[in-house]
Order: sequence, then structure tokens, then C-alpha cells
Amino acid sequence: MNLLSILIFLPIAAALLILVLPSSFNHRFKQISLSVSLIQFLLSLFIYTNFNQSIGGISKENEFQFVEKLSWIRLDLGSIGKLEIDYFLGIDGLSMPFLMLSALVMFVATLASWEIKTNLKAYFSLFLLLNTAVMGVFCALDFFLFYIFYELMLLPLYFLIGMWGGVRREYAAIKFFLYTLFGSVFMLLVIIGLYFSVLNPATGNHTFNMILMMSPENYISDSVFSATAGQSILGISARLLAFLVLFIAFAIKVPIVPLHTWLPDAHVEAPTPVSIILAGLLLKVGGYGILRVCFSIFPDSASQSAWWIGLIGLISILYGALNALAQADLKRLIAYSSISHMGFVMLGIASSTTEGISGAMLQMISHGALSAMLFFLVGMIYSRVHDREISNFRGLAELMPQFTFFVMIAFFASLGLPGFSAFMAEAFALIGAFTSEDVNGLLPRWMAIGASVGILLSAAYFLWTLQRMFFGQLYLNGGESWKARLVDVTIREKFALVPLAILTFLLGIFPSLLFNKMNASVLALVQLITG
Amino acid sequence: MEVLSFTENTGLIALLVAILPFFSFVFILSSNKQKGANFALSTSALSFLLSLHLFLQIWNAEPEHVQLSWFQVAKVQFFAGVLLNNLSVLMMVLVSGISVLVHIYSREYMKNDPNLNRYWAYLNLFCFSMIGLVISDSLLLIYLFWELVGFSSYLLIGFWFNKNAASQAAKKAFIMNRIGDLGFLIGILIIYAQFQTLDLVSLFGDKGLLSSSFIENGLWISGSRNMPEIWLSIAGFSFFLGAMAKSAQFPLHAWLPDAMEGPTSISSLLHAATMVAAGVFLIARIYSVFDPLVLDIMVWIGAFTAFMAATIALTQNDIKRILAYSTISQLGFMVMALGIGAYSESIFHLTTHAFFKCLLFLAAGSVIHQLHHYSIKNSHGFDYQDIRFMGGLRKRMPFAFLGMCLASAALVGLPLTSGFLSKDSILIRTFEWAASREGVFVILPWIMVLTSWLTAFYIFRLIFRVFFSESREIKLDKLAHINDSPSSMTYVLIILSFFCTFIVFALNPVSFESSWLWKGFQLSVIKETRFFHWLVPLIINLGSILLIMFAYRIYVLDKSSKLTVGSWLYQISIRGWFFNEIYDFMFVKSVEKLAQIIYQFDRVVIDGLVIALATITQLLSSISHWFDRKVVDGLVNATGVFSGYIGRFFRTFQSGRLQHYLITMLLFVLSFFILSYLI
Repeated sequence: MNLLSILIFLPIAAALLILVLPSSFNHRFKQISLSVSLIQFLLSLFIYTNFNQSIGGISKENEFQFVEKLSWIRLDLGSIGKLEIDYFLGIDGLSMPFLMLSALVMFVATLASWEIKTNLKAYFSLFLLLNTAVMGVFCALDFFLFYIFYELMLLPLYFLIGMWGGVRREYAAIKFFLYTLFGSVFMLLVIIGLYFSVLNPATGNHTFNMILMMSPENYISDSVFSATAGQSILGISARLLAFLVLFIAFAIKVPIVPLHTWLPDAHVEAPTPVSIILAGLLLKVGGYGILRVCFSIFPDSASQSAWWIGLIGLISILYGALNALAQADLKRLIAYSSISHMGFVMLGIASSTTEGISGAMLQMISHGALSAMLFFLVGMIYSRVHDREISNFRGLAELMPQFTFFVMIAFFASLGLPGFSAFMAEAFALIGAFTSEDVNGLLPRWMAIGASVGILLSAAYFLWTLQRMFFGQLYLNGGESWKARLVDVTIREKFALVPLAILTFLLGIFPSLLFNKMNASVLALVQLITG
Repeated sequence: MEVLSFTENTGLIALLVAILPFFSFVFILSSNKQKGANFALSTSALSFLLSLHLFLQIWNAEPEHVQLSWFQVAKVQFFAGVLLNNLSVLMMVLVSGISVLVHIYSREYMKNDPNLNRYWAYLNLFCFSMIGLVISDSLLLIYLFWELVGFSSYLLIGFWFNKNAASQAAKKAFIMNRIGDLGFLIGILIIYAQFQTLDLVSLFGDKGLLSSSFIENGLWISGSRNMPEIWLSIAGFSFFLGAMAKSAQFPLHAWLPDAMEGPTSISSLLHAATMVAAGVFLIARIYSVFDPLVLDIMVWIGAFTAFMAATIALTQNDIKRILAYSTISQLGFMVMALGIGAYSESIFHLTTHAFFKCLLFLAAGSVIHQLHHYSIKNSHGFDYQDIRFMGGLRKRMPFAFLGMCLASAALVGLPLTSGFLSKDSILIRTFEWAASREGVFVILPWIMVLTSWLTAFYIFRLIFRVFFSESREIKLDKLAHINDSPSSMTYVLIILSFFCTFIVFALNPVSFESSWLWKGFQLSVIKETRFFHWLVPLIINLGSILLIMFAYRIYVLDKSSKLTVGSWLYQISIRGWFFNEIYDFMFVKSVEKLAQIIYQFDRVVIDGLVIALATITQLLSSISHWFDRKVVDGLVNATGVFSGYIGRFFRTFQSGRLQHYLITMLLFVLSFFILSYLI
């Protein structure tokens, strides 16, 4: 069995184990889940070290690594031909970093799950199912398989928010579910359209193979999505329309302004571990999808729309940051800051330069670690006193010095202090956006300059929060009883926070740890987009 | 042999100079014991000795440039390395030297602080970032340390985070500096887009990319890349914006006076001697990026800052705030000097200023320290930083007094001090430069002369208030308890006093051209006019001495001319030209307001749309539900009812009575015949 398959299906196996274990084993469930993510992390570490960084992947099937390809569904459909769906896994420099991130974020989320007290069996089975889906999305290279994993993520998330969430959990869960489903339903249409447009040159059948969809020569010349046929639907070029549909589907996940309103609600109502996964991984699935699917399969439409995508990135950065500045609830503030930080990803991707895409990739990994850290920290306060209103706390630094230490690392890393990963990421996203006008003429220079104001605003909302909540004379809304409950960081919490802090620090000082692994892929992708 | 080869490896030593304080930062922070002081002192002393060694090797010798590959993005390599030239080794010695002195001073000054360990750790983090800043060889690396310097300044200003004012000041400092950082970053974007490298040597070296780029037909061209000419000016201005924030130039100066909330030892090291000079250093390091337009902006910003800050310093009552505004003013001199092309004069003044301003702060700190103890002992709740409560300390604290006097003399530029050489050299150059320009530039030197005179007045006002006239608050008999600070603090004052004299910098006390330091940076392109060289110092010093005497009359002899305390000029001065109020209204409040509006927009409009969509969907579904029940199902039911009705109707025919059947048959037959007859 292939390494990637183990990575994907190990959690499901554990989930089955949990389901059959009697309830008296309740307290073992979290250990099982924790060891699953530990094993996954070690596996991904093994993959990282054995990953050949000199080959690019992207549109060349033979350059993918750790490939597993089995024929899965073969169905003779008579005149239409033979249905060909493969169980096709493989990674390149674009997906490999996300495997490590997923394992790490899942590990932290499991540690945050210690707070969950009710219905553990259901919780951990759903949690592990989610783990499988996320890993699967990053490995799948067959579009059908990709879509299955992609939709599979929604199901556990819906229940995790709807059953273990806050006061308005049903509202948030439904909103989240419908929002994201809205995007992916139309995606299915495009997938089917692509299926009928592309032929596998080896077998002569239609195929769901994503990599084959990236080469124009595999398209049937008069098919819907063939670049040469120039078909149009509703007066819009069919390829552009398909690109937009896919883009919106993924962009809802990222999320972009104005398709973001599910995010603050979902975050505020979700339990801490789910917030961690939402911000740490779900948003990255959006960014990854845009790179792997939208930009790779429809590079021509991507260049056409780059200006608008860049503008959306710019708006998301500023709009998210300004919203964050207005929040009174700490968790909501961090949710909006996520929107702002993901805007840099959009900007970097839109620039279609090597610097920009490298920056966007680094930003996704960096934000994955940092948002996990931030939501974990908020969860720590919330689990102690069940309150996270900023104005209900003051002078926490005196009471919880270690907690404040971690908060400062997370805040300063997020606001782009050099030495931490977010700085490198945002700097390169901006460099990419700025050089774009010289390199490929896609984005105007003012976009990068406008976006850099986001860095200033992020300093403003993080430092303001720091000053209001952590500095000054100690004051707690709940008085003495809160004071007793607000104990400093525990050992378990350190186990979650320290790896994240180390990761963001390492990537800030040695970005080559990541850049080296994906340079070849980024080059290949840029080659594919700009020709 | 190995030691020898090591000492020759200058790059490695420079790295060590930077790493030592960082090591000490990590060690102290993680050890959590109150033994940080010795450790911090020994690493900083070692760091100083090594930089001295480097200084002797590099000064006036070939610059050293060592670099390693740092990371690679796609095909572009980024390097990290060390670039040592006269400027950086001078700064290294300056930073590490003053830092050693501040370390010694702080041992006593901060002795009773419960969080002393944190203090040492932060202090060493600062030293690390500052040294890193001055030795870095690429813009990216400089930017990294640039922000780290701002970060350590944030930590140190907010060291007493329980004090609300301190945490506010720290936040303000960081955010204002962030505005400058933004400029720096944009500068980096432009340079990278144009040259695809951020390496200082290949960019700004003698035959660097910048000097080989040229402007043609309104395009700024370098190799295959080009962009409109204006971007060169924007790049220069962006970098200058960064320098403006760090070096507290108008309009980004407002953070520095507030930064005085930090410990005084910190104010002396960061916010007087070294960190605030980073802006000037940056301008000097990348000097060739500035085109004439930006240089002119620099001139006016520097001059205005110098003048404005001096007018504010006239009326302040907090001893540290007076010195802070004085720092802003002096930095204005340096920036202006760089603007007119007086490169070496500016660096010269940077160096002398570092010593005398550090001394001013440490002497003031000594006074504050002693008064603070006094106020605690006597539970006297007075503001021990307010000069209105001080007086007559001359006899009680002779060392602090003498140190302060010497440093003030240097600040004013009185003869035999280091300031006489450096400051007057800037003024001479300003006159020479203005002579070659026309229009409004003619008044520039006179603004600087006026500023210089104001300096003399405000600093001696401070001295007369604190050390001469009788205290209004502290009774003289109680003054018996106040003495000079403990010896280690006083030694530091003595050492610094020595560095305020001319002898350190030049053998000839009246000619700055004889200074070794000035000679190290000869870049000046300004045409020399000999008679300015004696006339300008004469004018300045005469005016200064007159003003000092005037201050003496007012503050010592108490012949107060009641300096129009209520007047609007006084108000402008004491409120710092209302910049805080203006910024608060224009930026802080309006951004907060904007954020609130945007958030309401987000909730009401964008989320409102989503909710409206959901509501519409619900509405549609209930309509279709109604339609389904009433119309579709209604039709089905109606069909049923109708067929039932028909059925019932025809059932009536199946009555089983023979008479009915016969009647019916008869009716049918009859109607058939009638119809056929009619038709």
C-alpha cells in the first residue's frame, strides 16, 4: 500500500476502531486520535525528506511523486464510451507542504479537543473522518476523487459545528454548509464538462485525470472546453465561465470578500478544535484548489481574470483588516484577520510571478500554523472563563505571563514581524504583485502598494488588542472567580503551542526549508500560466 | 595560528558581535534567574571589544563583504552577509560601546526592579538587532533588523506594562514606526522590481546597478527593465519615509516624546544615542538612491523638524521630554545635512550627538533616580521628573551637574566641545550650500542658526532650573539627603563626559577638517567658502552665549519677564504644536470610525444580502408549497372530485327500477326523432 493511502486512510481506520470500542473506553479516544496525527506527522516528515525537489510536477504526470494509480470504476456506457475513474494519488511541490501542515494542525486540534466533554465517540469519529477528507483533497489527482474528498469535508464539519458549537451553532452550521455547497454544486457541472472534453491519449477514453486536463492537446477539438473551439455559453467564453465557476467555488473557502460572511459566524460558533481546522486547513484547501485546478487547467482564463483576482485580494486585505479593528469579540477579530491575511494569498496568486506564488504558498503554510495558534490561544481563555469579550479583560500579562508570551509570539508573527514566516510570505506576495507589471503585465503596481497598507492595519489591531487585554492594571469582569480560573499555560497546551511557534520561526529564518521544495513546481506552474 | 586566522576573518567576528547579545537574550530569557546582569554585561563587553578590533582593522581600509546564500525563490538567489565599511564599523563601536556603558549604569539604576531579568533580555535583543542592522549587506536583511529594532524598542518602552501610559506609548511607537516600515518596504519593492536584487554592494556600490541605471525620455532604465522616472523619486522618498519614522522626523516624530515612558537608561541608549540614529544611518548607507528632488524634501523636512522640536523644547517641564525634543531637533540637523550633501558632517554629528545626548539622559536619569528615592523615603508625592519641582542640586550632585553642563555645552556647540566641531560644521556647510542655491533656500541657514540659538536657551533653562535656583518643592535642609548617584553610575557619567570634548575627535579644537572622523567620509561636493568657516561659529556662539545669559537672568536671578504663559505661542509650544491632537482626530479616530462603518456595512449589507437570499429562498419555497398544495394538488383533487361527481350523476341511472329505464329509453328515442326531424 502506498504511503499516501496510509496517510489518508489511517484516520478512517482509527474512526472505525473508535466506533466499535465500548463507551468505557471514552477517555482513550483522544489518545487514539492523537497518535493518529502523530503517525501522520512522522509519515509526512518522511515524505518531506524523501521528496525530490528538482522535479516540478504540475502538468507532467511522470514528475509526480509517491504516485498511486489504480483503476477504480470502469463502466461501459455504450456510445458515450467507457467511464474511467481512477484512484489516482500523487504529490508535487504544490501539495507536499500541505501534508505536513495538515498533520501538524490536526495534532494541535486534537490537543484542543481535550475540552470536548460530550458524546466523545461521535466527536472523534467525525473528527477523524474530516482528517481523511483533508488529506485526500491534497493528494487526489483524479478530479472525481478530488471532488469526493472535497465534499466529504463538509459532512463532518457540519455536525462538528452543529453539535458541539456555541449558542447559535445550528445557524452557523447551516450557513457554512449551504455557502460552501453553493460553490461546489456548480463545480460538478464543470467537472462533467471537462470529462467530456478530454480524452486520455493512452486509452482513448474520456477521463477525470486532472493532469491530462492541463494539456490542450488532450482536448477534443470541438468540445466545450477546448481552447481552439472557442465555444461560448450565455455569450461568455466557455472556458472563462468554467474558470469563474471553479474560482468562486474555491474562493468561498478562501474566503474572499464579499463571499466571506460564513467565516466569522462559523468561527465564533465552532468549538476551538474546529476553528483551528477551519482556519488552519479549510481555507488552504481553497487556495490550493485555485492553484491546482483553476490556474492549472484554465491558465488562459486565469491570466484574463488576474486583474480582478488581484483587486479582490487587495479588497480582502484592507476590508478584513478594517473589520478586525472594529471587533469586540477576540475570536471574531481573529476570524476577520484571517480574511485579511488570506487576501495576500489571492494577491500573490493573481500576480502569476514566481515570487508572488511562492509568497502565496508560504503565506498559506504560515497562516495555517499561525491561525491554529491564535485560535488555540483564544480557546484557552474561553475554556477557562467562557468569555472572550476584549473589554472584559485587562492586564492579563501580570496574571498569565507565559500565556502572554505565546500571545505575543502569535500576534507579532501574524502582524508580519521579520524573523517569522508571515513576514517573508507577505513580503514575497507583495514583491510578486509589484513586479508583475514588469514581468507579465497582469497587475498594476498600485495594488501592491495599496496592499502594503494592510500590514500597517494588522499592526494596529493586534497591538491595540494586546494593549487593551494584556497590559495595564489587572481587571477582570468576573472578578476573583475568574482570577482563580485563569491559570497559566498547562503542559498539554505547551505541547500544542510550541511546535507551531517553532514552525513559524523556522520558516521565517530559513524560508528555504519550504522554498527549496517547491521552487521547481512554482516555476513549472508559472511556465504553464504565462507560457 | 588558529587565533590568528580567526582574527583575520572579519565577517565571522562581525557576526559574533551581533550573535553575542542574541545569545545573551535567549539565555537570560530562558534561565529565569536573577543573574542576568553579569551575563549581559560580559557579553556586551566582549561584543564591544570585538567591534573595536574590527574598527581598527576596517577603518580607512578596504571594505569587507562576506555573504552566504540564504534562500532561493524560483531562480532568484537571496544572500545574507556582512558588509563592513567605515560607516558600519563606526556604528558598531558606537552602539556596542554605549551599550556597555548603559549596561553598567543600569545595574544600579534598575536594581530594585522585580522584572530585572526581562530588562536585560530586552536590552540585549536591542543590541543584537541594532548591530545586525548596521552590518547587514542586503536591504531585506536591513529591513529585518530594522523592524526587530522597532520591536525591541516596543518591548522596552512598554517595560512597565502595568502603567497604562507606557503600554500606550509602546503601541504608538510601534505603529508610527510601522508607517515608516511601509515606506521602506515599498522602496524594497521598487528596487527589486527594477534590479532583481537587494544586495547593497551590487546596488549602491561604486559601479553598482543604481549608478549604471539612467533616465531617458522620462523612463528610468536598467538593463531590460524600465519604469517611469517618477518611481526613482518614489523609491527614494519611500526609503526616506522609513528613516523619518525611525529618526523621528516631522510628521512621524510624535512617538519619540511618548517613548520617554520607558526606563531612562533605555531612553539614553535607544531613544537618544543609537536607535533613532538608524534612520540617518539608513540614508547614509543607501545614499545614491536619492535623487535631487528627494534630497530637497529631506532638507526641508530636516530643517523644519529641527526648528519645530526646538520651539517645543522651550516650554516643556518634564526633564526627559525636553531632552527628547532636543533629540528630535538634533536628528533634524543630521537629516538636513544629508539632504544638502554634507555626508561626513552628518555622520560626524551623529557620533558626537550619541555621546553627549547619552550623557544628558544618564545625568538626568541620575537626578531622577535620586529624587525618586527621596520621594519614596519621605513619601513625598511629587513628580520627580518635573523640573519645576527641582532646584539647587548643583552642590548635592556635582558630577551629574558637571556632566550635564559639559554635554549641554556640546549640544549648544560651545568651543572646546565635540559639538562645536560637528554642529558648526553642519551650519558652515549649510551656508556654503545655500550660497549656491537661489530662492527660498537662502533662508535655510538662518532657520538653522535660529534653531541653534533656541537650543542654547532651552538646555540652559533646564540646567538652571534643576541645578541652580532654589527648589520649590524640596526644602533645602532636606536636600542634605540627596547625593550623587552610586559610584558605578557616576563613573559612566565621567567616561561619557570625556567623549564630549574635542580631543577625542580632533587635535585642533576649532577645525572640523582636522578630525579623523570627518576625514573618514569625505564625500562632500559642496563648494567651500573660506570665510564661513570662522564667521558662522562666531555668530552662533555669540548668540548662544547671549541667550544663556538671558536664561540665567530669568531662571536663576528670577527676573522673570513672565514669559507670556497664557499666550498662543506658549500654548503651541507646550502642546507640541498640537500634533497629538491633530493625529488623534485625523487618523486614530477616523480609522476607528471607518472600521465601525465597514463592520456595519459587513453585517447589514453583505451579510444582509446573504440573509436576504436565504429569506427569499424560504419565501419562494413557501409559495411553491402553497402552489403545490392549492394548485397542483388542487387540480388532482379537483379531478378526483369531478370524476366522483360524474360517477354519482351516472349512478342515479342505475336505479334498478324498470319504469325509469323505460322512461329514459323513451326520452332518448323521442329526442332522436325530434332531432333528426329538425335537421
